[in-house]
Amino acid sequence: MMPAHSAISRFRRDLTLGTILNALLLAGVFVCTLLGGAFSSPAGDMIMLMLLIVIWMTLGYHSMKNSRIAANSPSLIASGQFDLAEYQIEKSLKNFSIFRTSKLLSLHHLAVLRHAQRRWADAAELCNALLRQRLGSLTGLARQSRLILADALLELGDLNGSYQAINDLYQHRLTLAEALGLLHVQLDYQWRVNAWEQMLAGLGNKVEMAELMSTPNGARSQALLALAAQRTAREELAGWLRRRVELLVDVSELTAARPVLKELWPGPSAASPASAEAGDEAQRATTSELD
Amino acid sequence: MESPHSTNFLDVHELIERSQPRPRVAWFAYAAGIFLLVVVASALVNARVPGAKGVVDLFSKLAMVGIIVGMSMLMHFVVRRQREEMRQVEALEELVQLRRWPDAALLVRGMLSTPTRTPQARAQAMIFLASILARYHRFEDAIAVHNHLLDSISFDEATAHGIRLGRAMAMLREDHLVDADRAISELRRTSQGRPSAGLALVELYRDVKTGHPTEAIEHFHESLPLFQKQLGHRTGDAYALLAKAYDMRGKETHAAAAYEKATHLTAVSELNRRYPEVVSLSAKYAAAPLPPELRTTTAGAAA
Repeated sequence: MMPAHSAISRFRRDLTLGTILNALLLAGVFVCTLLGGAFSSPAGDMIMLMLLIVIWMTLGYHSMKNSRIAANSPSLIASGQFDLAEYQIEKSLKNFSIFRTSKLLSLHHLAVLRHAQRRWADAAELCNALLRQRLGSLTGLARQSRLILADALLELGDLNGSYQAINDLYQHRLTLAEALGLLHVQLDYQWRVNAWEQMLAGLGNKVEMAELMSTPNGARSQALLALAAQRTAREELAGWLRRRVELLVDVSELTAARPVLKELWPGPSAASPASAEAGDEAQRATTSELD
Repeated sequence: MESPHSTNFLDVHELIERSQPRPRVAWFAYAAGIFLLVVVASALVNARVPGAKGVVDLFSKLAMVGIIVGMSMLMHFVVRRQREEMRQVEALEELVQLRRWPDAALLVRGMLSTPTRTPQARAQAMIFLASILARYHRFEDAIAVHNHLLDSISFDEATAHGIRLGRAMAMLREDHLVDADRAISELRRTSQGRPSAGLALVELYRDVKTGHPTEAIEHFHESLPLFQKQLGHRTGDAYALLAKAYDMRGKETHAAAAYEKATHLTAVSELNRRYPEVVSLSAKYAAAPLPPELRTTTAGAAA
């Protein structure tokens, strides 16, 4: 497994090398075209120019192949194939590329992978390294990195850092997926600072957005909203949200990840209403219901 | 004004024809040809007119730099246009997710009325077109789009599975029960035992639709953890079909409980739109009540 700091130093070295090489190639073209007379051979400058073009095209071809290797990793991460994703990202980071964007994307993919592996410190370090770069047209990358950073810092208990990352995201126009991610992270931040009323502001939209999230994220967001409702004495709302969560996930897993949610399901052990219900109903189905 | 319900608004066959990407112009080959021409021409002129060497050299160098700059600009332009198209596809996806169907219908019509820049963008837009058509209950058209996609484009397994699911659901809605059964068999064969909540939902609907409530109830209980994991709030759909199955068997207490769960997760209006078979349940059983904080908004699951 590639440590974050070595990935970052390799990334920086390759960026510097890439910049120098691109500058040299450009300078070469300039010398051949405008100062062509400097060559003693009449065809020397032309040959030199062709050589530079061939070098640039070869490097570009290899860099493009490298970009393709890395492009597949997000789907591998999403499907939980972390080892294969790790292999591809590492390969892409270790190969030289004259394209800056290819290197930036590889580092971003590594941050996404570390976040999925719950290696919060590495994910935060990689995102910070990426955000210090000039990202140009890759503004989407900056937004996604900030989201990962905010979540990783929350997990590490750095509330100030997380607040800063969340706040920065408000300066950007987000896609729907990013807005869903932001809501998920923001609710997780707000309960830690007891911002119960703020959590419930624009409740209708938040519930609607939670419905569009993946099951675990949607359930956790609604559970946190239920907690906010309970803390602000909105019992009916809290009960409604709690019931939805129970219909979606195993509550014991949810409370294991966020012990604060045990307030919603008090008892000796946070039983799993969803699983218990599934089991009960299955039992009913095989006995009295289906005969 | 044309409405998405009208076949004139989204004429599927016309959109399929019009959206075919134009063949790519081989700009790289042209550039290479011009480059070669410049090299040969300058060598020839140099050999025949030694006095013009300086002018020829300068011209050939400028021509080469021109080719490089031209190709870079062309590449930049092409990439920018492709990115714009991908942004449109992303916007379309968001509109479909947010269920802003009229806006999505307008956008997809705009995109598919002219040749797309890439086959990938076309395929994605067509997938969303099928969803929009199904939303407007134009299931025959949706099936035509699904068939076109599956017959003409080679998709990865997950995408193909999603398209087959949409097609099977549209066939069920259109009462093409034999075709739907064949489509479900194909889905089972191609999914190769991988658990699919979508397939389980289609089978559940098929059982309800064909009057097999006992099998539907069995299916539901086998697949509930899968529904919860993969479908999220759409688990409400499965609960609604379960309620219908219980109702068909005369188990009203269980039907009421399942209907309450269904409407806790999904709005009654959405359930009724997706499955006409469950419309009768809304008059018979109580939907989950919305908390007061959500009654004034359009959000929330229950209607």
